[in-house]
Amino acid sequence: MIVAHDLTKTFSGKAAVDRVDFTVEPGRVTGFLGPNGAGKSTTMRMVLGLDRPTSGSVTVNGHRYVDSPAPLREVGALLEARAVHPGRRARDHLRVLAASNGIRVSRVDEVLELVGLTAVAGQRVGRFSLGMGQRLGIAAALLGDPPVVVLDEPVNGLDPEGIRWVRHLARDLAREGRTVFVSSHLMSEMALTADHLLVIGRGRVLADCPMSQFVADHAASYVRVRSPRRADVADVLRAAGLDVIRHGDELRVCGLDTAGVGDLVGRNGLPLHELTLVSPSLEDAFMTLTSSSVEYAAHRQAAGVTP
Amino acid sequence: MTDTVVLDPYRNVPRARRQLWAHALRAEWIKFRSVRSTTWSTIALFVLGAGLTTLVCATSAAWLASGRADESVASFLTWGMMFAQVGAIVLGTLAVTSEYGTGTIRATLAATPRRGAVLAAKAVVLAGTLFGVGTVTAVAGYLGGNAFLDAEGIGVPVTHEGVLRALVGSGLYLAGLGLLAAGVGLLVRHTAAALSIVLALVFVVGNMVMLLPGAWGEWTTKLMPGNAGSGVAQVEPFNPLLLDPWTGFAVFSAEVAAVLVAGWLAFTRRDA
Repeated sequence: MIVAHDLTKTFSGKAAVDRVDFTVEPGRVTGFLGPNGAGKSTTMRMVLGLDRPTSGSVTVNGHRYVDSPAPLREVGALLEARAVHPGRRARDHLRVLAASNGIRVSRVDEVLELVGLTAVAGQRVGRFSLGMGQRLGIAAALLGDPPVVVLDEPVNGLDPEGIRWVRHLARDLAREGRTVFVSSHLMSEMALTADHLLVIGRGRVLADCPMSQFVADHAASYVRVRSPRRADVADVLRAAGLDVIRHGDELRVCGLDTAGVGDLVGRNGLPLHELTLVSPSLEDAFMTLTSSSVEYAAHRQAAGVTP
Repeated sequence: MTDTVVLDPYRNVPRARRQLWAHALRAEWIKFRSVRSTTWSTIALFVLGAGLTTLVCATSAAWLASGRADESVASFLTWGMMFAQVGAIVLGTLAVTSEYGTGTIRATLAATPRRGAVLAAKAVVLAGTLFGVGTVTAVAGYLGGNAFLDAEGIGVPVTHEGVLRALVGSGLYLAGLGLLAAGVGLLVRHTAAALSIVLALVFVVGNMVMLLPGAWGEWTTKLMPGNAGSGVAQVEPFNPLLLDPWTGFAVFSAEVAAVLVAGWLAFTRRDA
C-alpha cells in the first residue's frame, strides 16, 4: 500500500506536485493517468525516495521507502526506460541490483526468463531496443518478488505483443494481492489495465475512483435521437422513465439501446431522423477533464491569485 | 477488492533477509568491474605508470651514470606515476558521473535508498582498487626501471630510504586522487566537467601557482592537492620546495576529505 499525504514538490517555486492525497490499495491495478508534465514521474520518484518532497509525505507499507529494511523485496520499480549503463551487460545490471539486496543470482536468471530476455542476457544494454530496455526494467522491478510494484509508463516503446504482455503482467500481479501502481498518459491503455484510476493534472488530483465509476461519470454511452417533433419524442421517452437531455437539436437518451428507443418512438407514431448509439471515448473524457485543469490554472493566474 | 491477500514482504523471496552494507559493497564491486571503461582505465594506468618509469630509466640511465646529471637517480624510480594519475582521476570520476550520465543512479538508489551506504561502498571499492593497482604499478615500474639503472651500476636497492614508502605511497596517492575525482563528480554530476576540473586542478593550476610571487606563491604551491599529495609517491622529489612526504600527504588527505564531505552532503540532500 502506498499512502501520500499532502504531498508537494516544487521546482524553483513552481509546484510540480501540489498537495496531493491518495492511497494506492493492494489487490488491484491503480492507473496513474495524466498528460505529460502532470507530475506523475515526480510523484513516483518521491514514492521511491529519489526526490525529496518539499512538504507532505508518502509512505510504502506504513514507512518511508528510505527506511525499508529490504528495499527491493518491498517495492519493485520501473522508473525510466534504459536508465542503465549502455556498456553493461543486461545480466550484470540485474546481478548488481540483486547483490545490493542480498538476492541470490539464480533469481536473476528467473526474472530474465520471465521477461523473455534470457537469449540476450549477455548483450550490452546499449544494443537493446527501447522495448528490450523496458523489459529489462520490468525484470529489475520483479527481482525481489515485491508486494508493491511501481511502473512508470511501462508500455512506452513496446510492440503490441509487449503491450499485451505488460497488461497481463500487471493484472496477474494485482490478482496475487500486490499493490500495482502504473502510470500512463494514454487513457486507452489504462482503460484496459486499471481497476482504479488516479487522474492527475498540473500536479493536482482530478479524479480518484474505480475505473467503472469514471466510465459512468465521464464516458457513459447514450442514444442520439433527432426528430422534427423533438419535444413530443422527449415526452414519450421521459414517460417511459428514461433520462433525456436536450443538446442543441438532438436528444441524448440514457438507459435503453437503439432498438428499444426506436420501438418506443415508433409505437407512438412519431417520425425519427436519426437514431445512433454514441459511446464517447475515454480518451475524450480524459482530455476534457485534464484540459479543464489547465483552464482552471490559467483562470486563477488571470485573477491574480498565486497558484 | 476487499478480499485481497496481504503479501508479507519476506515471503518466498530467495534468501530473504535485511539489506546489509556488505550487500551494497558487493553490488558496487560488481558494478565497477562490469563496464569496459574500468578495464581500459586500469590498463592505461598500469601501462603509463610502469611503462613510462621503465622507459625513462632505460633512456636516462647512461646520462645519470655519467656524473653530468643534475637530478637524483632516485627521483626517476616512480617517474611514470605522474602520468598514471590520469588513470586514477578517470576511474574516480567515472565511478560517479557514469551513473548520472546514464541514469543508473536511479536504479542504484531505488535498490539501496540509504545513500550514505552507497557512497561508502563506492569509496571503498574505488580506493581499494586504486591502492592495489597503484602499488602494483609502482612496484612493476621500479623493478623494470631499476634493472636498467643496475646495468649502469647506479641501481637503487629497495632498502634505500624512501623506496618502499614511495611504492606504497603511489597506491595511497592514486587512491586519494580517485576519491577527490569522485567527490568532484558528486558535486557536478557530469563526466566532462568533473574530469576537466580535477585534471586542471592537478596538472595545470598546481604548476601555474608556482609563478605567483613570494610566500603567497610558495605556500599555494605547497598546498595544491597534486603537489602536496604526490610527494609521498616519490623517493626524492624533483621539486625540493614541496612539503615533506607524510606532511604533504596529510594535507592532501584533508583536502580529499573536505571535497568528499561536500560531495556527500550534495549526494544525500539533492534529488537523484
